[in-house]
This record gives sequence, structure tokens and C-alpha cells, in this order.
Amino acid sequence: MSALLEVQVAAVRQLTPVVREFTFAAVNGRLPGFSSGSHVQVVLPLAERTLRNAYSLLGDPRDSGVYRIAVRLQEASRGGSRYLHEQVQVGDRLQIGVPSNLFPLHSLARHHILVAGGIGITPFMAYLAELEAQGASFELHYAYRSGLTDAYTAELQARLGARFHGYDAAAGQRLDCANLLTGKPLGSHLYICGPQRLLDDLRARAAALGWSAGRLHWEAFAAPEPGLPFTAELTRSGQRIAVAGDHSLLEALEAAGVEVPNLCRGGVCGQCATGYLGGEVEHRDHYLDEQQRSHVLMPCVSRGGCSGPLLLDL
Amino acid sequence: MTAPSAEPMFSTPRYATVPNRRPALYRVLVAQDAALATTLLDHLAPTLLLSLGGELSAAVEHEQLPSSEALYLRLHALLDQAQAGTCVQAIGDEVFVWQVHRVARQAGLLGDEIELFRQGARRRLYCVHCTRLQEIGAETESSCSHCGVRLLVREHFSQRLGAYMGVCIDPDRPFATVVQP
Ligand code: FES
Repeated sequence: MSALLEVQVAAVRQLTPVVREFTFAAVNGRLPGFSSGSHVQVVLPLAERTLRNAYSLLGDPRDSGVYRIAVRLQEASRGGSRYLHEQVQVGDRLQIGVPSNLFPLHSLARHHILVAGGIGITPFMAYLAELEAQGASFELHYAYRSGLTDAYTAELQARLGARFHGYDAAAGQRLDCANLLTGKPLGSHLYICGPQRLLDDLRARAAALGWSAGRLHWEAFAAPEPGLPFTAELTRSGQRIAVAGDHSLLEALEAAGVEVPNLCRGGVCGQCATGYLGGEVEHRDHYLDEQQRSHVLMPCVSRGGCSGPLLLDL
Repeated sequence: MTAPSAEPMFSTPRYATVPNRRPALYRVLVAQDAALATTLLDHLAPTLLLSLGGELSAAVEHEQLPSSEALYLRLHALLDQAQAGTCVQAIGDEVFVWQVHRVARQAGLLGDEIELFRQGARRRLYCVHCTRLQEIGAETESSCSHCGVRLLVREHFSQRLGAYMGVCIDPDRPFATVVQP
């Protein structure tokens, strides 16, 4: 991540017991514009370490005076969401990255099918503004649990009418993936943001119906899974970096002052690709193919082994 | 993210030789000559065959159209009403299959939902000087039938036009050698 923007928290709204919405305003000048589906990295200076979490930007991209994000409190997380929920107050200053978009609308689609699970509604809050402005054909399917993860449901219902399809787990309603894909017009594109299960299920159903993989688009932010500690060696300088089990290699490099370009921090965008010359690698990305994996790794998610140092071409 | 698309940008077109076995909701088979389609019938999806004529022994729903133009219009109307999960397979000469490709793409099919099987040697040549099209065979040199310039048939193929690029062979003579009647 290159340039950081300094923002001030202009508003905080508790949307549900576990979802909090933050509005950020520029400290100096104007915030850069963004396209719907974009995300920003938010720098979270926890006491013990600094995290950078990616969050989708909500709202109408044409109204770029402020940025809004919605954050779900993750119990089992590394503390980033807890920090945002418990520490950050109106008036506080934060650093964020410039917006980038790994989840754009497909411009040639004739019909857009948006499927959100829980907090996965966030990128679609920006899509809707754009789709409505274009007069595009679309439908939104939103699986949530009322009283817990039902952010924006009332607003969406009122705004979208018959185009809104809600599934409340608390009322025993289930999103039926097979049904959802049946009878859709030929130029349909499917956008998915939610748990891996939902994505896997929809992918399998779509393939069985003969949909090209090119009709499916998904938002894939995932915090890096922890692993075992290991050591990385920067072969150009000889510097050795110890990577703790709950740090990603990318985070360890950043902590040591080594900047590696990155966008998604979840192993999907390909930005952080780094060459390596030797050592054991546990590849955890969804980007590289087998052949590339013999000499390239994605430090945002992938890790070294414990047999010896991982030799990076840095 | 979107899966890396299986749509290579190539300038010399490549054609399928054996039909893929991917599942499909529905399949439209488009053949210049119905008899050619026999090799493609072994597929699980319900199939409709559109052709310009010819005999087919197998029992498959078959519509014969009187001309290429009628066939492209029929295909267009059909795809307009079709559902996602429909695939198209076209078999015929290069001019024919690329016209079918164009109609299918316009209807919203993605590249890997369309398969082209090439038969015959008929090709289409685009004269880059007068921007008009003509049909040729396998020859590598030709004269533009519209502006008369001697053309070299390049390997470069335009998917949009379904045609090979023809460029003037002799830069010193970028004009007709024979006066057109
Ligand atoms: S930052 Fe996107 S793959 Fe690593």
C-alpha cells in the first residue's frame, strides 16, 4: 500500500449489536473518488501491533465527500474489529489507504444478481447506487439474522421493493442457491460477498448449470490464518526476519520496514507477488498456478516452513 | 475477483476439435450442413439444431432455415429468450462460425460458452485499404475485388469481423493494377 490518507471519524452508528458504521472525512483537502465495489485498507494501531484491514466502501460513489464503512465485530479475530468497535470515537484520526477496486461491476452484464451473506452486504451498498443510477436490471439476495447481522434491511426493503429478497436465519429462512440461479436471463452476472460456504455452493451450482466461471464475481477479503512461526531471509541484504505465528509474512516485512505492494491482503489480487529462491513454502493464495508457485509466493497469506529460512528475492 | 477467463486473445483463430463435456442447461447447435452436426450430437444437454439444410439421421429437434441471414436472425431471437447456462456450438466454414460467434456474444454468451468447429476452406478477407470484405480460399495472396489492390493475406484475424487482414503487397503500388470495370 503506498500513500496513506489521514481521515477523521465524522460519525459512528451502531447498526446492529455486532455491526458498527463509520464515516470518515478528509483532514486535508478532498478524499479521492472511488468506483462501486472499492475497498480501503484501514490502519489499526493496536497496542501490541499494527493491523491493516480491508473494508468495502459503502454508499454512492459519486458522492465522494466522505467514506463510509461498516464493520462486523469478529470474536475470533486478531483484534482489528474489536479496536474499531471499542476504541474508535467520533473525532478520532485514522490512516487509511487510497481506494482500490477488486470487485467492479461487469459492464456488459444484462442482469446483475447480487448475493450477500451478513456483513457481505457492504460492497453492494455502493453497487446499488450505481445500478439504480444506470437503470440497470438487478436483484439483491441478502441472508442475515435479525437482531444480529441485519444491517440496512429496513432501508433496502423500502428502497428496492420486489428486487429485494431477504432470508432471515432467525425465522428459519434459507437462501436456496439452486433456486436462486434458475431461470436467469442469458446475460446474467452473479456477484457474491459472504462466507466461503456460500461462495463454494453458488460456484458449484453455477458450474452444474453450465454457467461460465466468467459470470461469477466475488469479494474475497479474509484475514490471514495464523500458522507456525518461521524465519524469512532477504537474500539481497542478508537481513533475517522472524515471523510470529499470528503475523502474516507481509505484516512481518512491513514491521521491518520492507514495503511490498499489496491490495487485498487476502491472497487473491496478485499485487504482493514476491519471488523466492529457496526454503519450504506453504502456499495459501488463490492466485498463483502450480508452475508459478515454484518460484513466487504471496506473502499476505502464504508462509514459510520450520525446516530453515525462507529465502526471499528481496 | 473473477476467475481468470478462458478467453485467450489470439490473432490466428483456433478451433475446437472435440466437443467439451461441460454441463449445460441447454445447447444450441448451429450447422451450415446438418450432416456435419452428427459428430457433435453426443451431449447430455437438451439440444436444438439450427441448420441451412442437409440430412441428419439422429432424432434431435431440428429447424432448417432458408438462408444464413435467416439463421442468424433466428439464433438471435432464440438467445434473446434463453437462460444463463445455454451454450452454443457452431460447425461450418470460418465465415459462418464467426458470424454465429458474433450473434452469440451480442446475446451475452461468454467466450467459453461458445465452441467453434471449422469445416471447409472458405475464409473472409478484409481489405485494410478500402475496408471491404470478400471471400477467399486458402491462398496467401489475393486481389481486393472492390478496390483492386494486390493483397497479402496476413495471419492476423479479427474476431469482430471474422476476417483476415489483407494488406497491400507492394507499398510502391498501393492502388489497383487493373482498372475496375
Ligand atoms: S495483497 Fe492481494 S494477493 Fe497479496
